This record gives sequence, structure tokens and C-alpha cells, in this order.
Amino acid sequence: MSYCVNCGVELDSTAAFCPLCQTPVRNPRQPVNQDGPAPFPTEPGEVPLGPRRAAAALISAMLGSVALCSGLLNLILLAGHIWSLYVMGAAAMLWVFVVPPLLWRKLPLSVITLLDAAAIGLYVLLIAWELDGFDWYVHLALPAVALLGLIMLAQVLLCQKRRRSILSTMTLVIASAAVFIAGLELLGDLYFHGEWGPSWSLVVLIVAGALEIPLLVVRWVPSLRREVRRRFHM
Amino acid sequence: MPQRDWYRLDNAGVLYSALKKEKYAPVYRFSAVMDERVDPSALQRAVDRSMPRFPSFQVRIRKGAFWCYFESNHKAGPFVQPDISNPCQPMRDREDNNWLIRFYYYESRISFEAFHAISDGSGALTFFRTVLAEYLRERGVDIPPDPLILDVGQPPKAEELEDAYGRYAGKRVLRGGFQKTAYANTSPQEPFYTLNVTMGLMSVAALKAKAKERGATITEYLAAVLLLSLMEKQRAEHPHRERPVALAIPVDLRGWFPSGTLRNFMLTLRPCVDPALGEYDLEDLIRYVHHFMGLSLNRPEMQAAITGNVRFTRNRFLQTIPLFLKKPIMAFSYWLVAARPYTATFTNPGAVRLPDSMAPHVRRMEVILGQATRPSPHCAAISCGDVMEVTFAGTGTSSETERRFFTHLIRGGVPVKVISNRTQREVL
Repeated sequence: MSYCVNCGVELDSTAAFCPLCQTPVRNPRQPVNQDGPAPFPTEPGEVPLGPRRAAAALISAMLGSVALCSGLLNLILLAGHIWSLYVMGAAAMLWVFVVPPLLWRKLPLSVITLLDAAAIGLYVLLIAWELDGFDWYVHLALPAVALLGLIMLAQVLLCQKRRRSILSTMTLVIASAAVFIAGLELLGDLYFHGEWGPSWSLVVLIVAGALEIPLLVVRWVPSLRREVRRRFHM
Repeated sequence: MPQRDWYRLDNAGVLYSALKKEKYAPVYRFSAVMDERVDPSALQRAVDRSMPRFPSFQVRIRKGAFWCYFESNHKAGPFVQPDISNPCQPMRDREDNNWLIRFYYYESRISFEAFHAISDGSGALTFFRTVLAEYLRERGVDIPPDPLILDVGQPPKAEELEDAYGRYAGKRVLRGGFQKTAYANTSPQEPFYTLNVTMGLMSVAALKAKAKERGATITEYLAAVLLLSLMEKQRAEHPHRERPVALAIPVDLRGWFPSGTLRNFMLTLRPCVDPALGEYDLEDLIRYVHHFMGLSLNRPEMQAAITGNVRFTRNRFLQTIPLFLKKPIMAFSYWLVAARPYTATFTNPGAVRLPDSMAPHVRRMEVILGQATRPSPHCAAISCGDVMEVTFAGTGTSSETERRFFTHLIRGGVPVKVISNRTQREVL
């Protein structure tokens, strides 16, 4: 029989390492028995995951019935105005948000993000079409949605590549929000005034900068990072 | 006795059913390591013969408008199956013919898993002992009738199905107030489907001698060692503020409130020490646990606690809330009163007594408490003959709690053999 040299516990003859402290077993008098049955089975059992298809079908049915009912109501109430298009468009947008991730579990997060941004863009296009507002759609709404999609995609790619700490994620989220706000004002100024005159977005940028600098300092100074983790249980 | 087709959940069952979800269900496992390889077909016959005698295990859970309830399950099964490396997996609706119990076999080990809403450890052990007796009979062993096992030829008794909580609920309620948040003892979570199990095997005689030296029972001694291990672990993590370390120790109420029920009938005690007050050594902790158990185990106080729990589930306001709203409320209540104030659960169903004709065929018994609501290990102990088995099981990656616990026992003079289902070394 072998004992763990670190913990002192007796080990099973099939154990290659101590399960308590991970110390490898090196016993020249009794090598690890690799042929004997292990104390526990090695094949995991997998309980089949819940009925995602059923959930997707239920959500599709719910959203579909909302869209259908609003269409029918539109025939009776305020029939001169196609208000039900907003409800139908919102239902379609929610469907894109929820159902594809349920049906295709291996769909990359980046693809889901692009799909979501495209759904928002199409919904706004529907509103623009109903209000005869293609001008503001092309010059303001579409670039704003594209900017939002790009920023979200960058976030996903940066956080997916390597698991980020809460501090790094917070820094990224604040920086992204600031960039989006600045971009939004730039697009608005270009559309309404023809030139960029930063004003309210500067306030957001300064506040974001004031938050970012201490976060970056904490992120890069190991002793501060440890202290913050300890105090906030991060 | 007229055959009942549905049952109300008891007080503990209501809480456990509220916790049941896609990735979690409170499930525990009892295993018996036999003296020879298991014959699966004999085991299946034994299960089939035993099930009708235990209607409270032959159920499925259904959702009503306001409460869940148990309904007799007439579908085929439960079927014995080859064992898996990750025991106590969640039990989901519409799978495995809705059975809330499972049977596994591996080499010479027979395992039985149950959803905690249907029974506690004592009821489950009665059922499991009877299945084991039937299995041995199927294998040709002569097992005469014995009070420790139920006769599968007899009809079930009414008292086996009673809600003992309801029977003993009195008029006075134990007012406790909210308990402090305890040290959570969590570690990074393993991927879903993983349950790390580490078992320590030791001699009951050696352990009993050590406990007796200090004037304690085996349960008190092990609980004190566990408290010490958890306190040391917390200190080694250098937290900003040390939190109290508290154990949930389930107590079988049948010893104080006579009942033949095979359903849930237990109460949880909470020995708790606050490391912020200073250093505790093992002697202090043994004394504390010993006197705490002595003070807490009194009939009027336990009856008042039962009354409080029953009142909660019979609350008029709560009864009018639809089930889909009630489940999150119950789950939150569970977190508030049964998860947040505890560091770990430590359960010891005690020495499993077997009829003399069965004892030579059962080498040892094992128990596993399934996953907790967070990635921290639960501890369970059971003994049979001279073999005491202590299991740590959890979904966290760390094995530090069990390492500290077993090394304390070894330093105290109790040799321990460790087996585990961990096949990969943890990255340190």
C-alpha cells in the first residue's frame, strides 16, 4: 500500500496522485496499479439538458401570437395608421435576441452580437420606413447602431480571448460606454449641424476618465489589486 | 389500507422541491460495497420486488396551481444502470420515466440515489436495507425476516406515509431571528456535470477511542475537527474580515418524536463559532460542540422549531400565491435561512445496523451528499461494522477542506485511507 508523503493518508493502489494534495505517487515497491478497477467509475453520466427546443418553440409561439393579435387589432383600432408594425418588429427583434442562442448552442458569442445589432438596425429601419425617415436612418440611426454593434463585438472579442478579471471588465465597459456616447454626439452633430462641436459628451468622457484612471492604477499595481480583491471579495 | 394516489409534500419537501431546477436538485446517495461483484439482473429483480412495499418512493413530482405534490408513478422502472463518475446529478421532469430515485452498480458497489423531497436519510436507509436484503435473497443467501428490514410481502403501513412534521407541530413557535452570514468556503466551480467526491475510510474503534478520550461522541468529534479545518482554511485565505464558521447538522427526530414515517422528519442544528473572537483549539471545539448538542436536543425546543417550519408552509398568504411565483420566494427563503448562515452541512446517519444474516455480505456503507447550492463541499459520514466512511462532495475545484480534515484525524492518531473520483490533478 502507498501513503501520501505530504498528507500521510493511505492511498488506493490505483491512485497516481494524492486526491487531497495532488502529490504524485512514487513507490518503487508498489507501482501504481493501472490495470485494477478504480474505486469509482471513470465514465461521467450526463443528464440531458433541458428541452431547449421546446423553450424556443414556446417563445416563438408567444412572440408570434403577440404579433398576430396586434395585426388583427390594428384592423379594428386606429385602422388608418399601421401601428402594429412596431409591435411586430419588436417581437421579431426579441425573437432574434432569444431564440437562435437557444437553438444553436455552439453559436459563437461574436455571431450572436452581430445578429443582435442587425436586428436592432432592421427594427429601426422599419420605424424609418413607416415614418418616411430614410434620411435620418441612413445618416444617424444606421451609423449609431453600427457603432454600437462594433463596440459590443470588440468587447466580446476582448473578453473571450482571455478570461478577464472583474476589474479589467469594468474598465472595458466604462471605456466602451464613453466611446459610444462620444460617437453618438459626433453623429448627431454631423447630422444636425454639419460639424462636430463636442459638448455634453465631454462631461461623460471626463467622468469616464476619472473612473478609468484609478481602475487602471489598481489593475497594474499588484499590491493594490490584492487589497481590492480582498476587500471586495473579487 | 386504501391505496393513496397522491401526497402533499411535507415541510422539508416543499423547500427541496422549490430548489429543484435545470442544473440543481438536492440529491443524496447511499452505497453498499458488497463482498462480490454485483449481479445487475438480481439487483433489478430485488428493486422490482421492493418498490410496491414503499409507495412513498414510488412517486413522481407534479406541479399544482399552488403547490407541488407527489403522485404515484406507474411507469416502468426504476431501472438499475452502470454507475457514473459524477454521482447525484440533478433529477429533471420528464426524464427517466419521472422517477425520483436511481439505482447504480459498479464492481461490488450498489448505489441508491434519492431526491431529498421524498425522504430523509433514515427513511432512505430503511428502503435501501430492504432492497439489499431482497438482492441477497435473489443471490441465494438465506435472510430470515428481521425487524431491521421490511417485509416486501406485506402491505405498506399508514404511519410510513404520514407527514410527521404536521403531526407534531404544536402551538408555540421558536423565534430565532436572522442568523449571521457564515464563511462560504467556496472555490472556483467545476464545469456542470462534475461532482468531486473524496472518501476517507477509517476504523470505528480507533475513532471511538479518540472521541471517548475527550468525552465526546463520534459525531461531536468529527464535527469539531471539521469546524477546526474550516476555521484554519478561512484564516489561511487572509480575508478582510473573518466570518463565523457554522455547520448544518441534521438530526433525525424519530428518537424524540416516535414516528414510523419513511418521509422527511429531521431538523437542523447550527453549531457556530466566530473566529473573530480569538483562537480555538480542538479541545475547545469538542467541548463547544458537545455542550451545544446537549443543550439543543430538547423536545420542547425542537417541537417549537418544527411548529415554526410548518407554520411557514401553511401560511395563508403564502398559500394563495401561485406556484410559479412561490418557487422563487421559497428558493430565496432557503438561501436566507438554510444556505447563507451555514459554511457546510455535516450529516452522520450513524451506524447502519444490518441483520446478522446480511452483515457478512456487506463490506462497508458509503454516503454522499450531493451538490450544494454553491461550489463548496458538504460532509457526510456513515459506519457499518468497524468501517467509518466520511465523504466530502462538492462542485468546487479545491480539495483543501478535506485535506485539512483528514490530516487532522491522522495527527490525532486515526489512520485514514482516501479514495476519490478525481482523475485529473487540480492545477495549483
